[in-house]
Amino acid sequence: MNDETFLRLKQFFPQVNFEKEEENYFRSLWKPKTFNQYDLITEAGAIERYFYFVLEGVQAIYILNEKGEKVVLGFSYSGSPSGVFDSFISKQQSHTFLEALKPSKLLGISLTDYQGLFQKFPDFNIWGRLFFQEILFGRLHREVELLTLSAEQRYVTFMQRCPDELKVIPQKYLASYLNMKPETFSRLRSSISY
Amino acid sequence: MAALVLTSENQIQRLNHILNTVKKHQTLDVTTLKTPPNPKAWNIVEIIAHLNVAYGKYVEKINDTLAKSADIDKEPDGFKARRWQKFVIEGQQPKNGVRKMKMKTLKRFEPLLDKNELTGEKIDEVFDAFFELHNHLKQSILKSRNKDVSKIKVTSAIGPVVKFYLPEAFEFLLCHLERHMVQIDEILA
Repeated sequence: MNDETFLRLKQFFPQVNFEKEEENYFRSLWKPKTFNQYDLITEAGAIERYFYFVLEGVQAIYILNEKGEKVVLGFSYSGSPSGVFDSFISKQQSHTFLEALKPSKLLGISLTDYQGLFQKFPDFNIWGRLFFQEILFGRLHREVELLTLSAEQRYVTFMQRCPDELKVIPQKYLASYLNMKPETFSRLRSSISY
Repeated sequence: MAALVLTSENQIQRLNHILNTVKKHQTLDVTTLKTPPNPKAWNIVEIIAHLNVAYGKYVEKINDTLAKSADIDKEPDGFKARRWQKFVIEGQQPKNGVRKMKMKTLKRFEPLLDKNELTGEKIDEVFDAFFELHNHLKQSILKSRNKDVSKIKVTSAIGPVVKFYLPEAFEFLLCHLERHMVQIDEILA
């Protein structure tokens, strides 16, 4: 990984300060992973091997419903974490798929190395507390939106906070994430400004 | 009649489930693995060996079809199974953990194992072959996601009376696997 990429990775852990040698060690733990568009990064029924940091591309995490349709639970994109976290930590088979919706470059760290960070560097515990707090708040927020807002409100709220790179993925993924039919999403997209 | 829409993600998920289940079966003791439920029936190792024989007949056909199919640069989509193929597929598929109709295995699909010579080593060979073959199936399903699967047909191992497009062939093979997973569950019950 080049210096610029490493700088981006380090910025994801702003609470962590390294000595030079520690920094080299930390850098050595992350392996670059490249995926083509529509590659399955993690399959349902397999165990997630990595915690990822996204350098490029958009990925969707989804589960198949009884009809075999994809139900999108979330997205990851440049600068965000990615992976099937529950499977990664529990070492149990994943219930969800992680798919590259655009050609993707990720950095991945294994479970042993990930857990080692918390033991070797106390700063990671501060990062972890804040990171999981943010994730929890995000999920709670989304749950409230899904349960209380109309389709139109869900669309507007999402589009206002949605990064641009996410707006160019196939609409059916965004529609599924917002719990609406692709036709509804399409109608809202053409009739509502946000 | 409801359409049968096949997706590679659904097939991968089910295949992973089967692979995980067979991995667990491999850890059963040798006596359990080689004891049939009745003298005329297959034991678990014979069932696995039968699945190897059955899939073995598709390896080259699938390789050829994938090699001949054009690459496509679009999102993998559902594939609607055709009426006759759907009927054949559903004939294999167990419903609610029950095998629908009993079938007599054609001679060419019978496992060629000597029941009296099933050592731990021999059993491991059968299981190892299963994983090798069915990882090929998985890789083939994954490869097919970037291929135009709607042009070239595979003649099934049953004969030219059934021809499949690749997603139909994968589905048939998966339903066949699921059918025999139920048979193993019945032995272990």
